Amino acid sequence: MIEIRGVSFSYGKTGVFRDFSLSIPEGQVCLVTGINGVGKSTLLRLMAGVLRPDKGKIRYDPKLGADPRRKIGFVSDALSLYESLTIAEAIGFHKSVYGLSSFDDSLIQHTKIGCRQKVRELSIGQRTIFHLNLILSLEPAVLLVDEIIHSIDAYLRKVFLEQIVQLLSKRRLTVVMVNVNFHDIEHLIERVILLKSGEIAVDENIEDLKSKVKKIVARNRPDSLNVLSQIDYSEHSEFFVYPFDNRLRGTIEGDIFDLNLTEIVSAFIGGEYA
Amino acid sequence: MGKLEEPRQIRIDAKSAVPAYEQIKRAIKLAILSGRWENGKQLMTLREMALKLMVNPNTIIKVYGQLENEGFIYSRPGAGYYVKLDPAKFSKGSPELFREVTEDYISKALQLGYSAEQILREVAALTNIGIPSARRKDHGNDRD
Repeated sequence: MIEIRGVSFSYGKTGVFRDFSLSIPEGQVCLVTGINGVGKSTLLRLMAGVLRPDKGKIRYDPKLGADPRRKIGFVSDALSLYESLTIAEAIGFHKSVYGLSSFDDSLIQHTKIGCRQKVRELSIGQRTIFHLNLILSLEPAVLLVDEIIHSIDAYLRKVFLEQIVQLLSKRRLTVVMVNVNFHDIEHLIERVILLKSGEIAVDENIEDLKSKVKKIVARNRPDSLNVLSQIDYSEHSEFFVYPFDNRLRGTIEGDIFDLNLTEIVSAFIGGEYA
Repeated sequence: MGKLEEPRQIRIDAKSAVPAYEQIKRAIKLAILSGRWENGKQLMTLREMALKLMVNPNTIIKVYGQLENEGFIYSRPGAGYYVKLDPAKFSKGSPELFREVTEDYISKALQLGYSAEQILREVAALTNIGIPSARRKDHGNDRD
């Protein structure tokens, strides 16, 4: 469990969060999304303990012990510490810092990383996998995944996601992902949190979200519904609506379509750019 | 006896508002009822199935749990899940599954933009059953 209570945070004069609260129960897989610059990564950094809130508190499950940061794995592009070391040296260093007696490197075996390669010679994707491997050796209870997985190729992305599914099937693991691209994680996610101007604009479990966001193709704007965004064509328009209620089905003029997660988030975000 | 191989028939439609667990459950039921998945065969483990479909393992736990409750599969502690086909259960044509298949069809047709009336007409035409009010509009489709 991670509980963020009344947190305020700003970078100098630029406020990001004001009196922000969010609670993520143990074992949940959450997606945090929203437009660029809304504070997704800042939120993750606050949860990871990399940034400290100006005000408010972030509490973790007592099970995580006195130093919860050790049980929180933060997958980001920050791997600068080991730049000049080889993979083997970095693993040795990691083991000594954390007092590990063994190191399971099966994850990097999936990639073409050699143990004599220097960390700085790795591609972004390889670095991410290597970083994940280091993090997993600490058996985290919470995994925070920043947008970094966008910059890795399709194969390594699959390796990465399969690893997460493996972990989820073995033990309880809380996962918070920051993402704007969902086709392959759509069915891993249990809850979607959409940020807007430093606040939570949407917080729904995936099933509810899918039943509440619809595309209506019609000539006229549906008066009874809240339209998030619309796309106009010569003869008709596509209206993205939320919240939709199934009981309205008979009363709506036009055709109603279900959406996948990418389309749903685009509908929300599209409204913000309009 | 080998495990059931890849659940090739299971495709999750990300666009559907039918929850993923429900879609997987239906696909497995159909595989069992149609005889493709034979009685006594072992299903993939929770982890294998989650990896194959790239879904949250909790989803598969829910699917297997519900299928077990409904008597389509059974589990042997520590040894996995197996297909259980009880012919008596399905001799009456499994109204429950029929209902699900029907709902599935209707929701897909509605998604394609067809109205309830058009769906009724189509079913009537395909099954040769007359629906008086609908038949009149069906030009050149008089089958009597």
